[in-house]
Amino acid sequence: MISFSRSMLVGAEFPQEDLVRFHGMLEDRIYAMEVLMDVRISDGVIQQVQGRMKRFTTPVCPKAVDMLQTAVGISLREPGWVSKINKEVGRKGCQHFAEIMVECGRCLDAARMAHELLAKSAQTPEADPTSLTQAFLATHPELAGKCMARP
Amino acid sequence: MILSFLRNKVMDVQQEKGGSLRIFWRLTETFLDASLEMQVRLPDLEITGVWGKLQRAPHKECGSAAELLSKVVGVRVGPGLRKIVEGLIGGPAGCPELAEAVLECCNSVILHFTVPQLQATETGTEEERRERFQAMVRFNPRLVRSCVAFADDSPLMEGLV
Repeated sequence: MISFSRSMLVGAEFPQEDLVRFHGMLEDRIYAMEVLMDVRISDGVIQQVQGRMKRFTTPVCPKAVDMLQTAVGISLREPGWVSKINKEVGRKGCQHFAEIMVECGRCLDAARMAHELLAKSAQTPEADPTSLTQAFLATHPELAGKCMARP
Repeated sequence: MILSFLRNKVMDVQQEKGGSLRIFWRLTETFLDASLEMQVRLPDLEITGVWGKLQRAPHKECGSAAELLSKVVGVRVGPGLRKIVEGLIGGPAGCPELAEAVLECCNSVILHFTVPQLQATETGTEEERRERFQAMVRFNPRLVRSCVAFADDSPLMEGLV
């Protein structure tokens, strides 16, 4: 029998040239909450955050919504940004809000790559997605050194 | 507005007959489709098995990433877990996505045990509920200052700090 389930969903849209808007959602047996987060692409700085707690465990939890503002100004490009969000938004507010924000932040590069690949595929439908991915990585040195596939 | 990217993650915890937990984790998005299964022995919370597969991945090197998972067998769900798992399979020489998957499975194990504790706080008077929250904190001191509900100035912590 399944005793615990969790779903996390992150969507990314690009409303302006230098802006990505993340829609993050967490739903599990205990909690349900959402985050909307705007990030400037050029430097990864969080511009705006909004959050909504739909299901929570204590009467104090909704106070954590205000703590989301402490993340504004943090750059997803700076070392230690995950710890910073966990400390500011998580420990001073809500760990689950922090989890969604970190999940959104971890999608920054993949979302940028998807956005660019969609545009390039529209221009040249016959283009090979693998070579488009490789070309994107070659022209974005900030993505290097993240994992065994991108040394 | 039409989305350019969508990532979906699902985790399930299942109780097994032999007294262990099995966690199922799945991620799908534009570039990646990965799944992981983990077995955790009770009551010592030791990871006794991890099996993973990257069905779709952006780089050819990702194909061998699942082989790293066996390194976390023997690790216990407990303090210092993040550092241990990231050191074993994450970082620039590993696969941060799979390291995160292992950590999320472990987090699900903790939440599996949290559900009945929180269910006990859902009924009764405000005072009775507060007492049950405080009993939870006494049983798990790591909750102290872990979030706004368990901060020093929280009404739930009155008389406890």
